[in-house]
Amino acid sequence: MKKLFLFIISVMFSMQIFSQINADTIISNDKNKLRVQVLYFHITDRCNTCRSIEANVRKTIDAYFQKELKSGELDLYILNCELQKNDSLVKIYDAYGATLAITPCVKGKAGKIEDITTWAFQKVHNSDVFLSELKEKIEKYIK
Amino acid sequence: MKKRFLNNQIILLLISLIVISSCNSNQDNKKDLNQDDLSAKKTKNTALSKDMQQQLDTSIRDSSTVNASVQKKEEKPKVIIYNFHLTNRCLSCRAIEMATEKTLQTYFAKEVKEGRVKIEILNVDDDANKDIAEKYEASGSALFVTRIFKEKETIKDLTGEGFKFARTKEARFIELLKKQIEEYLKIK
Repeated sequence: MKKLFLFIISVMFSMQIFSQINADTIISNDKNKLRVQVLYFHITDRCNTCRSIEANVRKTIDAYFQKELKSGELDLYILNCELQKNDSLVKIYDAYGATLAITPCVKGKAGKIEDITTWAFQKVHNSDVFLSELKEKIEKYIK
Repeated sequence: MKKRFLNNQIILLLISLIVISSCNSNQDNKKDLNQDDLSAKKTKNTALSKDMQQQLDTSIRDSSTVNASVQKKEEKPKVIIYNFHLTNRCLSCRAIEMATEKTLQTYFAKEVKEGRVKIEILNVDDDANKDIAEKYEASGSALFVTRIFKEKETIKDLTGEGFKFARTKEARFIELLKKQIEEYLKIK
């Protein structure tokens, strides 16, 4: 009985971790379909503003780009820049703290990175403006 | 008798010649003296006028230097760094303030003393800062470098750079901020 209980707990725990990974980054990595990548980097000790930026990014994609996310036209990355596994992306995006960037992709080739960190910190406290302006920024790469 | 008279006549003529010549030489001397006086006076006058000219030149130069320095003082650009924050501050936000202050202490101590570089740390939740926060559209943590020159303001938003580097790559952030301030302090 005790063993079964421990087994259930461990299964639940592993499922939670698994779902967390899925929630962090949503990528299909289909090079033929991929049109745009949205990346948000954060540090381990996060503040409310940093969490709000992530929440607003997710809201924008949920509201306007669900279809593109499912089809693989859009990839979303939420990454801790202090984790070693993210080192290569951190270097590419020069993201050593909270960083929001959009990268257009054509036939698997990444285009010029658009760093919108300053914009994100400016608009984060006005959710409606954040959502509509980020929508426009992403749309121009998908069209 | 006649011969003696002739001799006397010659002697008298000679004496008179000597007297006349000596008189002439005196006059010449006097003339020379007068000329010396004149030339001395001239030299003196020239020296005086030179002195006066020099003094005039110096005074003109001084006044122009004063004018130039006043103009220079007027012409020097000022830099104000606005560091906005919320009441509840996170580590990154505090790191931006610390790194900014470190930059000023390390590289711009003289300019800070002269009042040419200033830092304003402002809480956006405070009503007293409402107007300035609205002007900069700062609703949370933000960092702006403002240049004021000839009544014209130029603003550089370094919020993104602050959040990207201030906490984990402080030296890089300091270098970025230093370059921006140096650029804004240049007269151009």
